[in-house]
Amino acid sequence: MSIDPKNCLFTLEVDRRFPKPLPGQFVQVASSTELTLRRPFSVAGASRPGEIELLVELRGKGTRSFAETHEGATVSILGPMGNTFSEPSTGEIAVLVAGGIGVAGLRYLAQELSEEGRRLIILVGARTREALLLGNLLPSATEDGRIRLEFSTDDGSAGHWGTVCELLDSELEALEADRIASPRLYCCGPPAMIREAAAIASAREIPCEVLLEEIMACGTGACRGCVVMTKHGYRTVCSDGPVFDAAELVFEEAPNA
Amino acid sequence: MPDLTTTLGRLRLANPIILASGTVGYGREYASLIDYSTVGAIVTKTITREARAGNAPPRLKETPGGLLNAIGLENVGVDRFLSEKLREAATVPSALIASVAGGSVDEYAELTRAVASREEIDAIELNISCPNVERARRPVWDDPEAVGTIVRAARNATEKTLLLKLSPNTADIVSVAEAGEEAGADALVVANTLTGMRIDVEARKPSLGNATGGLSGRALLPVNLANVWKITGAVSIPIVGSGGIADPDDALEYILAGAAAVQVGTALFADPGAPGRIAAGLADYMQRHDIESIEECTGLARKEKEREWQRTTAG
Repeated sequence: MSIDPKNCLFTLEVDRRFPKPLPGQFVQVASSTELTLRRPFSVAGASRPGEIELLVELRGKGTRSFAETHEGATVSILGPMGNTFSEPSTGEIAVLVAGGIGVAGLRYLAQELSEEGRRLIILVGARTREALLLGNLLPSATEDGRIRLEFSTDDGSAGHWGTVCELLDSELEALEADRIASPRLYCCGPPAMIREAAAIASAREIPCEVLLEEIMACGTGACRGCVVMTKHGYRTVCSDGPVFDAAELVFEEAPNA
Repeated sequence: MPDLTTTLGRLRLANPIILASGTVGYGREYASLIDYSTVGAIVTKTITREARAGNAPPRLKETPGGLLNAIGLENVGVDRFLSEKLREAATVPSALIASVAGGSVDEYAELTRAVASREEIDAIELNISCPNVERARRPVWDDPEAVGTIVRAARNATEKTLLLKLSPNTADIVSVAEAGEEAGADALVVANTLTGMRIDVEARKPSLGNATGGLSGRALLPVNLANVWKITGAVSIPIVGSGGIADPDDALEYILAGAAAVQVGTALFADPGAPGRIAAGLADYMQRHDIESIEECTGLARKEKEREWQRTTAG
């Protein structure tokens, strides 16, 4: 299913032996025999038994050849791989921050949390209003305010004008003022967004987990190809992650800082 | 059932398929995906004396027909390998080959002695050919004399099977192979990755954190196949072909060129079932051609070509 010209939602029927994925986990898709590596995609939904959903941004050869897969075709997937998010505790409100296609990494978590009746604030940032079509794939806002969904766009064409991290900061400010629940952040998006969200969480002393993406080969921790720097040295995104405590990550200096 | 067993030095392998160093970690990482009963041996991630953090990311870049990597020999170091990882690696039912890389001749000897003293380890592969850590203008793998010294030192440290992994990044791989044989290597692994790079034009910088990396995958097959071809004419110890093997025919090409065994690495990433598929394909080929033992296949293409050359000369 095409969401917009750039993004597709795929529904894959999986074998009965395929374990039910946890939010944050990913699968390795063999999208084309022409390619040397599989492509890792976050599980973007697995609420129905025997099915998983993948939300894919058409970016390069791997994603494009996957998108050209016709309906009913069989594709080989390995998984589910990787770790999962920690659950918010009773007094916490989950704040999900997605930048662009980062929605893919948080959608399944949002669905599960919504299903469990949790309080949820979902913030989606994008460049323009078109990209916000991704927001339609997320749980809808509820009238009682249990689930809130807010948008931001870089060009101001929809939602708040500015970055999703600016939106996050103002949301956290408001939460701090009403002191009802303490927030727990879950973030997925481009590296600059992750870095900024981690800095906000650190300054406000809020727990923050980020789902990272890297080019991967094995997906099992064997090849050491997809590392990120942490306070304990390099860790693999595929097997130590993809979910990391933002406070553990060591970010490179921003190029223009 | 055709006989797939093959011999490297003192090491008898259930089949000629070896999983290449660096692609399966210490074996355990892939335990749920690879059927190790279809594999003759696995080679560990290269072990160095001290732990190594490895290179700055990005460490991987896919390129048509292959993969560039610049991991930089990230590993836990020999002490933690022996105290922790070896136990995990030993749960793999196939033979276990420890890959080692030293910063000096003494270190190669020391590492060889340390790993060879453990009964779980069946053989040692000397990695003299990692393109991602060498900074010298003339790297060690390009220097037959230096390679001979390393192999001799390692040879004196163990009686277990000693494999020497050569590099294709040299103008004269045959001289290095001969030096290795002369110094006492039991088998030659031909060969490691080929140096390569890509540049991200938008960012205007190399795609890999280390700038250059090692090319593996299908694109490497013709290069290392030719290296096997050249070396089999010059040495009499067994050769393990490596580079771009993903299908039974790829393995057969190396074997027919003169290899006694093959290593499979990069193909595992797309298909962890590749070793089993290749083993089944070899057995099927042998049945179709009425060949009882895979060892009969070694060098058949070379023999055929030599007959042709002789006829031409005679005529």
